[in-house]
Amino acid sequence: MMNFDIKKSKGRKIRPKKIVDVVLTYTGLIIISLIFLFPVLWLVLSTFNATGIFSAYGFFPQEWTLNNFRILFADSEYLMMLYNYPRWLLNTLFVSFFSMLFGTGLVILTAYTMSRFKFRSRKRMMVMTLLLGMFPSFLAMSAVFFIMAEFGLVNNLWGLILIYSAGAPLGYLVQKGFFDTIPNSIDEAARIDGATSMGVFFRIILPLSKPILVFTALTAFAWPWSDFILPQILLPDRDMWTVAVGLNSLDDTQFARFTAGSVLIAVPIITLYFILSKYLVSGLSSGATKG
Amino acid sequence: MIKAIKQKFIGIGRLFGSANPKTILSMFFMGGGQLLNKQWIKGLIYFVIQVGIIVYFVLRGAADVAGFFTLGTVAGNPAQGIEGDNSILMLTMGLLAIIVVIIYLFVWTINIRDVFDTQLRVKSGKKPLRFREELREFIDKKFYKTILFLPVLFVSIFGIIPIIFMILLAFTDFNAGTFPGLANWVGFATFGELFRAGGIAPTFFRILGWNIIWAIATTAINYFGGLGLALLYNKKCVKGKTFWRLFPMLAYAVPGFISLIAFRFMFSASGPINQLIMGDGGEIINFLGLDATWSARAIGIGVTAWLTIPTSMLLATGILSNMNKELYEAAKIDGATGFKQFTKITLPFVIFATTPVIIMQFVGNFNNFGIFFFLRQGVSESPGMYVATDTDLLVNWIFRLTVDNGLFNIGAAVSLLMFIVTSTIALFVYLRSPAYRKEDTFR
Repeated sequence: MMNFDIKKSKGRKIRPKKIVDVVLTYTGLIIISLIFLFPVLWLVLSTFNATGIFSAYGFFPQEWTLNNFRILFADSEYLMMLYNYPRWLLNTLFVSFFSMLFGTGLVILTAYTMSRFKFRSRKRMMVMTLLLGMFPSFLAMSAVFFIMAEFGLVNNLWGLILIYSAGAPLGYLVQKGFFDTIPNSIDEAARIDGATSMGVFFRIILPLSKPILVFTALTAFAWPWSDFILPQILLPDRDMWTVAVGLNSLDDTQFARFTAGSVLIAVPIITLYFILSKYLVSGLSSGATKG
Repeated sequence: MIKAIKQKFIGIGRLFGSANPKTILSMFFMGGGQLLNKQWIKGLIYFVIQVGIIVYFVLRGAADVAGFFTLGTVAGNPAQGIEGDNSILMLTMGLLAIIVVIIYLFVWTINIRDVFDTQLRVKSGKKPLRFREELREFIDKKFYKTILFLPVLFVSIFGIIPIIFMILLAFTDFNAGTFPGLANWVGFATFGELFRAGGIAPTFFRILGWNIIWAIATTAINYFGGLGLALLYNKKCVKGKTFWRLFPMLAYAVPGFISLIAFRFMFSASGPINQLIMGDGGEIINFLGLDATWSARAIGIGVTAWLTIPTSMLLATGILSNMNKELYEAAKIDGATGFKQFTKITLPFVIFATTPVIIMQFVGNFNNFGIFFFLRQGVSESPGMYVATDTDLLVNWIFRLTVDNGLFNIGAAVSLLMFIVTSTIALFVYLRSPAYRKEDTFR
């Protein structure tokens, strides 16, 4: 192979092989970015299309409009009854917020105990949770439905919150991985000073756990925000629907409503993800490395 | 194991041999011994639990347990206006009642253990523990019990009971046809029906085969796709890493069902891709239609990759940043090429670190309900299949069997088989993974 060097003004040598590498790398980057960007961009652009029916779409709208957003909140009385987007949005916010609150608390506490206490049935519980997570959740939904019906929690947003919060502790592995990286010596030092387990947790561990708290809260919020199976089964009443159920009920003729509605609920969650991306990466990797 | 059981029996024997009247009282009358020990609050708590359980059993628990075995005695008949027993409700409530019994027995043993401990304390000259002292234990040494109480309770009610319910359902003949009549226990008959020649079995094995191909393909593509992306963004020559990472982050952040519905619109017969094809003078391709076996499958795999590679990318990025850089320096000095460095250093480390995640992703992909539920909504049944399309995974098929067609017992039997398959694989890998066996290595 020929091996001649090009002298750059700074005197650094750049081999042609390296140039090819750089060109290939950037071509790859651009193609990959387009693949990820294109569907999202298409969806966003569609929301501004005045034609409203997606069969008439090119990639860019011929006529721009904000009307698609307007019809979500103000439409004829009949259509508002069918597609009560503001109501769905409020329901979703309500469920997501409280599920986040309770779910985060339960997961963090569970993960902390699983990481710090070496009690007898611990390993057994770890294997159990793995197995439980493997059972496709909606299969058992009919039983959940009967139990909820017995407690009068069907068509009730609190019932949904209860199930999301109750399911949250099963996903404790990531958080446990994080707590595993906090050295035991910190706990022991506090104990010598007379702190109880509860004291250690609230005064020492919790303040150190901001990244994992943010990560947990974010994922706990995003789950109900985009789940559809559970609300579909537990909320038969149209007025109780969450956005996910509502949007899935739209057919081809309501495409404009779908795009505008999805962009509206995607924007807050995307913004949150971007603002908190630092925590996301550290959260995900801490769970992965220590599992 | 046998030794442990033996130990337990010896312990019980000792307990019975040396129990004093207070302890014996607690065996029949929960909290009695505690009250005699002047442990008022604790005794009262046990007492209230006992009374509560008795009241529950008198009011409905006993009937519920009976209903669990009979599954109802009065068959409904709308024509005559007879509202019969609801077998499934009886199954659920009977299950709840049985669980209550088990919990009661558990509390009962704790109660005896507790009063016996106090007896031993008193015997050795100490005073019985005061309530406040015991409470302090629950925020210190037994803090884990305090914390785990709620999660365990919740997971039992909404996780374990429904699963037991599903498993039980596989052994009944309950389906839409039995309603409003009664369901019965039928043993393994449902499984027999499932595997009877020429019946449902061919569909089951066809779907299972595709399901396994699907799970392996998607897991591999997502995993190595994510790793590849992370390595690409980590390259020295890439400027503006944060900017490039924004794009997969975008795909990660959009709620999954929105992306899926959008992809369905995109590939639909009149969607933008077909318009492009028509614009070039081509014919409409029905990518996701009834006959589109492999194009629909390929789109499914591609869309899954689009949805999940960003997650794996974030994960791999985090792991790579934790890696020991010196290894690479050493490898470079020894003259290892980039590819060699990847196969000999990066890959072993990353796979070591992510075994549990791979298992979770494999199971998640195996049970990925959303993909074809959204992508092929409206496509109902492929020729030669039993209420299934050729892209359906087992979960989708079970959904069709149960929710759409009311064949609850068959759906339950299929899900039981499926659970056995996935859990065996996952447990086998998990119990051998370093993450489970050596979890304390890095502490």
